[in-house]
Amino acid sequence: MDLATFPWLTTIILFPLVAAAAIPLIPDPKGQGRPIRWYSLVIGLIDFALIVYTFSTQYDLSSSELQLVEVYNWIPQLGLQWSLGADGLSMPLILLTGFVTTLAILAAWPVTLKPRLFYFLVLAMYGGQIAVFAVQDMLVFFLVWELELLPVYLLLAIWGGYKRQYAATKFILYTAGSSLFILVAALAMAFYGDTITFDMRALGLKEFSLSFELLVYGGLLIAYAVKLPIVPLHTWLPDAHGEATAPVHMLLAGILLKMGGYALIRMNAEMLPQAHALFAPALVILGVVNIIYAALTSFAQRNLKRKIAYSSISHMGFVLIGIASFTDLGLSGAVLQMVSHGLIGASLFFLVGATYDRTHTLILEEMGGVGQKMPKIFAMFTACSMASLALPGMSGFVAELMVFVGFATSDAYSLAFRIIVVFLAAVGVILTPIYLLSMLREIFYGAENKDLTSHEALIDAEPREVFIIACLLVPIIGIGLYPKIITQIYDAKTAQLTLRMRGAVPSLAQAPVPMGSSPAGMTTHFYQAPQL
Amino acid sequence: MELLYQYAWLIPVLPLVGAMLVGLGLISFNQGTNKLRQANAVLIVSLLGAAMVLSFAILWSQIHGHAPYLKTIEWASAGSFHLTMGYTIDHLTALMLAVVTTVAFLVMIYTDGYMAHDPGYVRFYAYLSLFSSSMLGLVVSPNLVQIYVFWELVGMCSYLLVGFWFDRKAAAEAAQKAFVTNRVGDFGLLLGILGLFWATGSFDFEVIGERLQDLVASGALSMGVAVLLGVLVFLGPVAKSAQFPLHVWLPDAMEGPTPISALIHAATMVAAGVFLIARMFPVFAGLPVVMNIIAWTGAFTAFLGATIAITQNDIKKGLAYSTISQLGYMVMAMGVGAYSAGLFHLMTHAYFKAMLFLGSGSVIHGMEAVVGHDPALAQDMRLMGGLRKYMPVTSVTFLVGCLAISGIPPFAGFWSKDEILGSAFGANPALWGVGWLTAGMTAFYMFRMYFSTFEGAFRGNQKEIQVQLLGEKDGKVVGAFGPGAMDPKELGHGAEAHGYHSDSPHESPVTMTLPLLVLAVPSVLIGLLGTPFNNYFEGFIYPPGELHPEVMEVASEFDWTEFAIMAGNSVGIALIGITLASLMYLSRKVDAAAIAVRLQPLYQLSLNKWYFDDIYDTVFVQGCRRLARQVLEVDYNVVDGAVNLTGFLAVVTGEGLKYFENGRAQFYALIIFLAVLGFVIVAA
Repeated sequence: MDLATFPWLTTIILFPLVAAAAIPLIPDPKGQGRPIRWYSLVIGLIDFALIVYTFSTQYDLSSSELQLVEVYNWIPQLGLQWSLGADGLSMPLILLTGFVTTLAILAAWPVTLKPRLFYFLVLAMYGGQIAVFAVQDMLVFFLVWELELLPVYLLLAIWGGYKRQYAATKFILYTAGSSLFILVAALAMAFYGDTITFDMRALGLKEFSLSFELLVYGGLLIAYAVKLPIVPLHTWLPDAHGEATAPVHMLLAGILLKMGGYALIRMNAEMLPQAHALFAPALVILGVVNIIYAALTSFAQRNLKRKIAYSSISHMGFVLIGIASFTDLGLSGAVLQMVSHGLIGASLFFLVGATYDRTHTLILEEMGGVGQKMPKIFAMFTACSMASLALPGMSGFVAELMVFVGFATSDAYSLAFRIIVVFLAAVGVILTPIYLLSMLREIFYGAENKDLTSHEALIDAEPREVFIIACLLVPIIGIGLYPKIITQIYDAKTAQLTLRMRGAVPSLAQAPVPMGSSPAGMTTHFYQAPQL
Repeated sequence: MELLYQYAWLIPVLPLVGAMLVGLGLISFNQGTNKLRQANAVLIVSLLGAAMVLSFAILWSQIHGHAPYLKTIEWASAGSFHLTMGYTIDHLTALMLAVVTTVAFLVMIYTDGYMAHDPGYVRFYAYLSLFSSSMLGLVVSPNLVQIYVFWELVGMCSYLLVGFWFDRKAAAEAAQKAFVTNRVGDFGLLLGILGLFWATGSFDFEVIGERLQDLVASGALSMGVAVLLGVLVFLGPVAKSAQFPLHVWLPDAMEGPTPISALIHAATMVAAGVFLIARMFPVFAGLPVVMNIIAWTGAFTAFLGATIAITQNDIKKGLAYSTISQLGYMVMAMGVGAYSAGLFHLMTHAYFKAMLFLGSGSVIHGMEAVVGHDPALAQDMRLMGGLRKYMPVTSVTFLVGCLAISGIPPFAGFWSKDEILGSAFGANPALWGVGWLTAGMTAFYMFRMYFSTFEGAFRGNQKEIQVQLLGEKDGKVVGAFGPGAMDPKELGHGAEAHGYHSDSPHESPVTMTLPLLVLAVPSVLIGLLGTPFNNYFEGFIYPPGELHPEVMEVASEFDWTEFAIMAGNSVGIALIGITLASLMYLSRKVDAAAIAVRLQPLYQLSLNKWYFDDIYDTVFVQGCRRLARQVLEVDYNVVDGAVNLTGFLAVVTGEGLKYFENGRAQFYALIIFLAVLGFVIVAA
């Protein structure tokens, strides 16, 4: 067997799916789902190990090209190809998917309702999510994107909270409705011009007319804006997140939101650069609105899960600003913010679930003083909240700083615009600790709430929970201390992508990328440092 | 020697290792780790001790003229952007390392006695160690980004430590207030850093300074923008060093345990603001407008802090406002360009204020034996008095601290404060006037504190006062309780923790008094390093860019007459302050209450801290809440309402349309086909 030509990505995607199909055959004498849990966990670990192995042996960090390419004709009559590949954009997200999904399986330990179906769906999601990040064919992308929705819908509708039906229906209508735009855009792009192709790289090379690009861009933007989400297309998220159980929650926040950001970079920015040049200021404004609007709504929320859900929306605003910055650093920060939020969001949602398991309420007023009985959960919650409010030494800070510096030094926008955007985005830096620390204060600080302690046994974290959070905190702090461990995966890709995006902006096409030793403003008369 | 510098990174890393080890122990083997109380403390104290030894070795080699040292590694990069992190050692760093490690070391020893009965003893040491590590990381930072990183980290440690007793509501609120107020400052600092990077393309202090000068001189960057960037950066120190208008967090931060108040909120972290101004001196020095703003902010803060400190009854709150006031002096010194005077005061203040706070902790520790653990009782000076008899060591060291801060020669505070006042007079007599007046008030409130705590008769057993204080705390009508009707829970708490309840306070254990005695030495003597006629300090610490001989030349032109006039003035007003305090609180010849009634508006203004807390609460806290609630309502009713309306309409129209659906797949395919066709036609 030749390692270099072995279909690694296909294996990684199909393995959990095939394994999921075998779940009905597993004996479960006690009906508690214990063997199924272990089975799924082992499958998850094996698949994650496969991803790590593939990454460390078959992936070249210095290349900006698509690697691990596999192309099989699927339905030749339609020109449909099973075409996979990974580059700097996909790879960190594939790693994140493997990591977070495996931890989510471990986090799902207490789930005893219909365990066969539950783990079947989680494993199906496992493969589906990776497929979304690896597929290089627009039509197949649409298919896996849609297929991804089904497990989420069922996971919400069966294992959700009190309003689960409403939330699940809203989720499926929102996302399925908006993803029709992907189909239409895919078909339109495929049939444009002389050749008919769904291959993303080929589509990227096609020369579209500007008005066509704008139309397609707008359609795709709606689809991805729902997923990311971008205000005002976000209202499915608080409902879905508010009703989901902790492991589903981790998947939703950790991975599903990243699909929107990924597709936005992969398609809108990379394949439609002309339209991106025109749409970028709108993205920046939407990003700022996301940051401030969601931070304020999060502050006013009294429901813990919804609070964290809104905070996710707020953090995604930085991704938008980074994508639209036209600088290496900004784009790099956007990707890092996705990875970082994947880890931080998953950890926070897991902790919310762990707290809920003990208090059986999500309303902040009904908690209070919980920290005395649950010091470990308190400590972990504090650590993860600090990560979320972008404390230096943790990954969120690096990502936000990169976006800030990238945007502040971007030469694509006027000085006034940049000042206003940076100023408003920095207001988010003040708002984030306000809602997160208020939340901590209301849950854990103060005297014990007698109404709560009288009927709930507040048991501190068990080793499994400490282990999950420790697993998430290690990369969070690791990236925070030395961000190059992640950025080097995609540096080559983002640099190449930035050049392509800048090429579409007339004023930037000739200018050098304005980072590092050559500082810049709109005008070039600022201090020119000697080249180091 | 080189080896010493190569391993200098150990100074911040050693305490970090201690914090990590103990922290991991607490998370994984909670009970076991908590049982090994003093073993943890010994580990952490000895690691910090090692860092202290290294720091002094570095200070020694710097004094002997070792060249500055810089070591960096690439930390983040994207495309052509490279950001480095590392450590730098120069005179300023060496001085700060020595100050921070000594105070931290002594505070850690003191903690063993102070927190002996606290269930969170081990956790407290872990936090202390984490803080020391962040603070040491801050002072060795070679560039602005790294400063910002550690700047936030010390803020987080402060948050954790202020909220250490997390079952107290007030502590939780104070911790949040401290963090958020500091974030407001960090917001400015971040914008300033971004702006300076945009303008100069660098994060290095001196490079930024030089290039900014060039840009302003060549007219490429307007002076207004440069000033704006300077002011934004200055917002960071305003919050961290508790300057007006972001000073409000510091007094509340006294909810934390007293060793923290001494270490973080008096000696080290709050001085970080002054340190940053010193680091950014090459930038600020070229912007006279910014320097003026800095000077006047400092002067006003010094005055503001002193006026509030006069009427505080909580011993720690009084010291907190005194800290604000003294930080104001340092900032003012920086603003008038008296670089070394500001840092000199930073150093002397670190020692004597740490001692004062630790002394107040000792007093509180003694009082808790009598009145229980309620801070409203144990920290209120109205219940103290006559403690000199019971706590001789504490009272002597506290007196030394009071003399030092009041500026009585030859104590440390005299030399540093006098140097600041001298420089201020040279820059602007009005600034000197404010500083001079504040010096008088400082002497007054410090001796008011000393007399009401240590002199007179002990009042701790007077139940009426206790009841009145508890009533004030709860905001209830005073006198609604009968005598002795204290909150039984609080009494129970005190008795439970101590196992006994006594009628008289006691002197603290030796682990607490020893640090007090050690700190008394620099509080008396360290000022002699910076006497105007032989200024070793200024020979060591001088602004970057200024040459060493220049400084010495200035020092040699020392004028005795001028010195006598300046010093005479400041000592004179200090003596007036002390005399007034002794008349009012020692011999009680002047009735303080009567004066308060006479000057009711001023008294209320001071007692209510100039109403800053109330104004901020109404405008910012309530305003922010209201805005957030409105946004959420919009989100529910308008944004989500539109979605639900769409759903509703879809159901209605669907009901109407269902008769037109025929269920044929070809029909649907046709619709999709037409849509794509239309798309392509329109676009092409």
